[in-house]
Amino acid sequence: MLHRKTLLIPAVAVLALTGCAGGAAPAETPVPTSAGHGAVEGAAEVGEPQLHLTTIDPEGSVSQLDLLDESVVDVGAIDAASAMTTDGRYLFASGSEGIAIVDSGMWTWDHVDHFHYYRGTPSIVGTVPGEGEAVVATTNLSTTGSTGLFFADSGEAVLLDTEALSKGELVERFRLELEPQAGVLAPIGSHALLAADGVVQALSAEGEPSGPAADCVDPAGTITTRVGAVIGCADGALLATADGDEVALETIAYPAGSAPRAMSFANREGRPTVAALAGDQGIWLLDTRERTWTLLPAPAPLVQVTAVDDDAEHVLALAADGRVLVLDGSGAQLAATEPLVDASQPGATLVADQQRAYLSAPAEGLLIEIDFADGARIARTFETATEPAFTALTGR
Amino acid sequence: MRIRSLLAVGVAGVLALSGCSAVAGDDRPLVVVTTNILGDVVGELVGDRAEVLTLMKPNADPHSFEISAQEAARLRSADLLVSNGLGLEEGLQQHLDSAEGVEQFVAGDAIEVLDYAEGDAAGQPDSHFWTDPERMLDVVDGLQPVLQGLGVLDADAATAYRGEIERLDADMAAAFAAIPAERRALVTNHHVFGYLSERFGFDVIGAIIPGGTTLAAPSASDLASLVGAVEQAGVPAIFAESSSPDRLARALASEADLHVEVIELFTESLTDAQGGAPDYLTMMRVNTERITTGLSS
Repeated sequence: MLHRKTLLIPAVAVLALTGCAGGAAPAETPVPTSAGHGAVEGAAEVGEPQLHLTTIDPEGSVSQLDLLDESVVDVGAIDAASAMTTDGRYLFASGSEGIAIVDSGMWTWDHVDHFHYYRGTPSIVGTVPGEGEAVVATTNLSTTGSTGLFFADSGEAVLLDTEALSKGELVERFRLELEPQAGVLAPIGSHALLAADGVVQALSAEGEPSGPAADCVDPAGTITTRVGAVIGCADGALLATADGDEVALETIAYPAGSAPRAMSFANREGRPTVAALAGDQGIWLLDTRERTWTLLPAPAPLVQVTAVDDDAEHVLALAADGRVLVLDGSGAQLAATEPLVDASQPGATLVADQQRAYLSAPAEGLLIEIDFADGARIARTFETATEPAFTALTGR
Repeated sequence: MRIRSLLAVGVAGVLALSGCSAVAGDDRPLVVVTTNILGDVVGELVGDRAEVLTLMKPNADPHSFEISAQEAARLRSADLLVSNGLGLEEGLQQHLDSAEGVEQFVAGDAIEVLDYAEGDAAGQPDSHFWTDPERMLDVVDGLQPVLQGLGVLDADAATAYRGEIERLDADMAAAFAAIPAERRALVTNHHVFGYLSERFGFDVIGAIIPGGTTLAAPSASDLASLVGAVEQAGVPAIFAESSSPDRLARALASEADLHVEVIELFTESLTDAQGGAPDYLTMMRVNTERITTGLSS
């Protein structure tokens, strides 16, 4: 392991130095732009989302498939990963040394009334040291604000500067040491929320208590919508909203006498409604704008769910038998694929975009594009060179 | 008039390239402008009586462009700072806030503001006032006394430029009036035409424009939103930002038997001198011509 790490460091350094000049050049010339514009040097603003599937294989090799022109580039190598979280631009992979961060180089700037799309160069940024797997909490903006990490094994909470990350630098705004426990550190506006020891406390960017606190027993699961940051607690979801420098906390309690609590949340990035498994008893939909929980029946045993939150209120599910199910907002099944994947594999991941969903099938070595609004039609299938143990939809 | 404006653009261009301090010996007052649209307008009003530094480069995104440390320093030492306001220059806000001692003119304060009518931004102010030339006239009228106070207004040039915007406004009204009333609709994913539509009586019909990943293997349902919008509007053209407009038009023809032209408009940024919208008046005239031709064919 030590040997492996010494090999890794020079590779990372070279990548960081070459920046946008080296490595994989974009396969097609972006829409004409002038030099130096946009949020980050070396990135071009383009006319539509630069969707990619960024995958990590069991050895830690990172590849990136361009869903526009179907080309594949090698991004580099990280430590073998045991878990991965993404915000639609970066991949945060838990390895033996900490959290390795991959920058897909593709992102969307959410301006609420519209979006701007950027295309840069993928790279491996580096590793944030830490013990064991971390809960990673991200926002919808990949060039400002912060990213929160909580290492359960050591009880360390680390707030990363996301703007620095977008420039290829790892900058810790703070690192707090707590008792080892399952905690969450989630960014919100210029603050962070620390969920630990039964309480959620708003912190300043320096890690000092600043703003409100609320009870939160057994925190698990976190997601940011365009409404605010969500942390799952035993008796409901804690929703934090930011207005200027002020943070407000509210608890959205589960309906009385209902199904098991949500342990993780997923949706089309940024949308107000998120989905979660209600244990084996159905699907939770949390509408962060309306502050409501809705429990949908599950038409079959499920292993993953995600909310598209489009006009048709599509909800997508990966069934235990490997089929992808398309549901409406009442839980009625609209369509289903054939079994596509060994759903018992931990890396099988279902991700929703606006008009397509993507399913990774690690054991099968496939990435599958599904047109969920057209009878769960398989639109495209891509074979991968190595097993896509972890897959992120990037460019969102 | 024309020559003077070209000179102003040239000076701004050199400054942008060198990206650093003032031209040696330039003791004229310094007017710093955030967006390139307003930079063009301010340049027309001051002629060569002030140095105009435009922070936003051609073809850039006004929401997220960044400036150098030298530009930030010059911004703080400017005699006047002109910005769009209404939340447009998000990425620049900290610099604008830091220029407390500098006299500021915010264009959004000089106009009657529209709010977004729908979508997640409903109720928030729409910052894209320049698509209505009448509102740009309000901004010019607000700017003139401020520039006068600084002693940099070229009154003759300003009067002439004001006349050009009035002519633009009249020409746009005449061109759009020639479009049959039932076709005066913009099916678009552009978000900037609220003011233009209010001023000249267009319906804006928002639609999801399928991107390249969708068009790689499209189905009828992918195009349903757009097809519905086009059929509702009964128009022969849509105005979409698309990296592959031909592919989109082909998909609409093959999947929905819908034959429309896909036309791109200039929205939030001027181009460089070689592009199609090097200045405000040209940008507006090109858009007018594209809209009129598209909807009349």
